[in-house]
Amino acid sequence: MNNALADKALWDLRPGEAATVTGFGDALSVSYQGRVMEFGFQPGTRVQCLLNPGFGAPRVYGISNSVFSLDKEIAAAVFVTTRPPQEASS
Amino acid sequence: MRRVLLLGSPNSGKSSLFNRLTGLSQRVANYPGITVDVASGPMVNLPDTELVDFPGTYSLEPISGEEAIAVSFLNEALADDHVSHVLCVADATRLEKCLHFILQVIRECQHHQKPVTILANMSDVIRDNQLQFDPAGLAAALGVPVISVSAKESQGFEPLVECPAEGAAPATPPSRNWRETPNEILRGTAQQLAAQFSPKGDVLINSQLRLDRFFLSTALGGLAFFFIMFLFFQSIFTWSAPVMDAVEALVSGLGEAVVPLIPNRVIADFVADALFGGVGAFLVFVPQIFVLTLVIGIMEDSGYLARAALICHRPLRVFGLTGKSFIPLLSGVACAIPAIYAARSVDSPRQRMMTYLAIPLMPCSARLPVYALLIATFISNDTILFGLVGWQGLALFFIYFFGMLVALLVTGLVSKASKNKHSEQPFVLELPPYRLPTAKPLLRNAWNRCRQFVTQAGKIILAVTMVVWVLGYFPNGGADLGESWLGTLGQFVEPVFAPLGLDWRYGIAILTSFLAREVFVGTLGTIFGIEGSEENMLPLVDHIQASGLPLGSGIALLVFFAVALQCVSTVVILAREGSTRLALSMLLSYLVGAYLLSLIAFQIVSLLF
Ligand SMILES: Nc1nc2c(ncn2[C@@H]2O[C@H](COP(=O)(O)OP(=O)(O)OP(=O)(O)O)[C@@H](O)[C@H]2O)c(=O)[nH]1
Ligand SMILES: [Mg+2]
Repeated sequence: MNNALADKALWDLRPGEAATVTGFGDALSVSYQGRVMEFGFQPGTRVQCLLNPGFGAPRVYGISNSVFSLDKEIAAAVFVTTRPPQEASS
Repeated sequence: MRRVLLLGSPNSGKSSLFNRLTGLSQRVANYPGITVDVASGPMVNLPDTELVDFPGTYSLEPISGEEAIAVSFLNEALADDHVSHVLCVADATRLEKCLHFILQVIRECQHHQKPVTILANMSDVIRDNQLQFDPAGLAAALGVPVISVSAKESQGFEPLVECPAEGAAPATPPSRNWRETPNEILRGTAQQLAAQFSPKGDVLINSQLRLDRFFLSTALGGLAFFFIMFLFFQSIFTWSAPVMDAVEALVSGLGEAVVPLIPNRVIADFVADALFGGVGAFLVFVPQIFVLTLVIGIMEDSGYLARAALICHRPLRVFGLTGKSFIPLLSGVACAIPAIYAARSVDSPRQRMMTYLAIPLMPCSARLPVYALLIATFISNDTILFGLVGWQGLALFFIYFFGMLVALLVTGLVSKASKNKHSEQPFVLELPPYRLPTAKPLLRNAWNRCRQFVTQAGKIILAVTMVVWVLGYFPNGGADLGESWLGTLGQFVEPVFAPLGLDWRYGIAILTSFLAREVFVGTLGTIFGIEGSEENMLPLVDHIQASGLPLGSGIALLVFFAVALQCVSTVVILAREGSTRLALSMLLSYLVGAYLLSLIAFQIVSLLF
């Protein structure tokens, strides 16, 4: 997992913004890191922030056709880069 | 008997497939984590094959209670010689979330020499949206057969009905060996396969996003939430009113026709008071339970509930709960027992405990007959705003709201008193696509719920009304209720209820309602039946109005029923799922709380009016 590539946390993405997952922060427990990876949030995968309902509510993220809602505790510990996909995976 | 397992990630359609293949009616809903226990039944076309429906799980590393059940049952089942085949269900439109688990299952099955077949469900969605999906390619990559099916349209089942029994798998690709592959490699493989095989294009996500932009928007989303909840409570009264009136007319009409035909006076009195008065009074409320179950079903199937959970997450957290508590709490509006089971899907043990505390305070449908009776006694059935809003519906909304408020206060206070941040878990939830609810399973579910309600509660009510009737009718043949055995007994309990302005008849009815709340209505019906005139059977509401029950006592009764844990089954299930200590302390504290609150309510209302 290459966190050096990261320029943002998932939580920082604005609705409509897409990014590539690069890694996970230590704040995320092993079991929940496993869970988000099972959802498909794996280094190298393209994700999109779909919605931010506001008031600190969990935000909505999409991977391909799947849609998940994650709260700040998790989304702030998933690192992403907004550079174009080819660059991000190199 | 051969056994075939039905596994897969949450909300992929396992229970829908199970229902199709067994003809049973397991609960199906558009929300991940609906099935919380293992269920089994013989397959329609292969009666010697038992199909086993599992709770959904995203992987073999469980996070929540129902996932842990799925995983431990799977480990047992794989060692079981009777298990002849494993069917792993995937949502073909959302492969990315299914593949890791599929690979894990294939690996475990290879260890135990069990054949696996992947059922790529939702082929109707793939077809309708003209998406590309390549089952043969996926099968080759996985090394196991992949069959495209649609549980909704019963499509693609042909190979299934033969394959598990005969072992003649359809188009088995060359097998691949996953036996020694560690989880990390499986993850990488799942990612690659998802990139390669999941249907491309953004048709599905865009149509979902359009609705989510509305339902999850900052301002409108909150308004929509309250509007939907308001509609929900209104519908219980307004939609079921005509049917309730019809049932009421039917019961009393039938009573007036049947009773005169009975020659023996004692038996005639029994039939009139206990059967038509007691059990009949309770049957009148069954249509409301039907509507309630139906409306909850529509919400569940539409996919809105997951959004409601998201919206409620932050506010509920203030009270020690989580967004995931929302579904158990809403189920609690129908019945506390499935709600307690549903709480398995709350990941954090502490928040699950808080959910248990709140569930019995949710206004369950057994309270509905009691509320409806008291509301009809005191509040006119006028409507305002062109018949859209009824006063009775509004009153119900308030008493429901009161129960929920008490629930939040209790969890809020308890969680403040025992602050232990560490056991709270983060919120992760898959948001299912919006779907148009299908009428047939919903109607069947509502019908089953009513049947269950009538048979289970009906038995208790029949037994209680019989005992109450015998005690109330003898020794003086119904001539003077106050002098009957019941009346004598009533004298003992009256002092307890007198501070609430309730006479002994209500006291007895409350005591019997600790078996199940709806018994209250049956007992009162029987008591007033014995007391009432022989010729015309009045609806119970008229009896209560004639008895001069003061408004303060009516409100005290409402408050008492809103808070007290008067349900033997709930206490038993709480003890089983939580702990005996939890169940007993809840029983006691909610009883004391109910009494004190209703006392306060009576005093305040009596001062004001
Ligand atoms: N369009 C379509 N919808 C389906 C199909 N199969 C299931 N569904 C819907 O998908 C949702 C989930 O179905 P369930 O059968 O409850 O799924 P499950 O896998 O048992 O879910 P859990 O028990 O929560 O793990 C429901 O709304 C179903 O109506 C299908 O083939 N096509
Ligand atoms: Mg299910």
